[in-house]
Amino acid sequence: MTATSPAKTRSGPHLVLLTVYAIFVLAAGARSLVQVFTRFDEAPIAYSLSVVAAATYVAGWFAIRRAANGSAGFAKIMLWVELAGVFVVGVLSLVVPSWFPDASVWSKFGSGYGFVPALLPILGLLWLWQRPTLGPTEGDR
Amino acid sequence: MAASSSAKTQPAARRRATSPGSGEVEVIGEDWHVDALTPIGFIVAGYAAFVTIAAVVGVVLKAPRPKWLDQLAWMLEILAVVLAIGALAGWSAGRKPESLSTFLGYVGALVCLMPLALQTMRTDRSTWSSGVIAAAALATGVVAVRVMMVR
Repeated sequence: MTATSPAKTRSGPHLVLLTVYAIFVLAAGARSLVQVFTRFDEAPIAYSLSVVAAATYVAGWFAIRRAANGSAGFAKIMLWVELAGVFVVGVLSLVVPSWFPDASVWSKFGSGYGFVPALLPILGLLWLWQRPTLGPTEGDR
Repeated sequence: MAASSSAKTQPAARRRATSPGSGEVEVIGEDWHVDALTPIGFIVAGYAAFVTIAAVVGVVLKAPRPKWLDQLAWMLEILAVVLAIGALAGWSAGRKPESLSTFLGYVGALVCLMPLALQTMRTDRSTWSSGVIAAAALATGVVAVRVMMVR
């Protein structure tokens, strides 16, 4: 991460995004680990998707961190992937509920987390869309 | 405490009391377990909401993060630690959470969230650092409620 950081990360709304992503890395990661290691047989698809969600949040955290330092390409890809994941899993959980005997992180568009999983990539994309560009030597606020 | 613990281990159980004289059994509570820790849980959740609102106001006003917001956050942390100790004491006294790993995970998150947020924003007193405190306080409140639900 430091190799991609030309200077100290500037302050901005991405700090809140990074915080929420970190919380979701913790929440989704812990949840998926518990589900996989204690009762994977009960809902293998749902629990596997929880692992995917946790991995996506880890990647999303790094992507936003990189974007805050001026390299937005990875973040654009990751946020769209995350949004597609929430949408696809949300639709599947409603259309094929038998695949989800227990909820995953993105089930029903993240209703178990107050729909924050659905809002998060949208907010991230909005931030990417209107974030200020970094100057070549400027790093501080 | 022993009676209340047994009630908690049976999710469908209700707390009952016998009316003197009549011998009738009266339902006095539903699944939500009422004990000394419950008001602390409500206090933590309510105070977390207050800290969240205060921090969001700071962001809306575009003001640098004030010192008092840090103090509010640390007070929330103290309350969270009290709640965590109470929850762990209940567990050590025999209360059986449905999933021990989930319970311990929530307790750990309850205690660690706010110090981590404050540490990462230690040198940054910009407007958006208040947003970080808001997110951490909101998460602490949610986790406090979850601790009360899964303990």
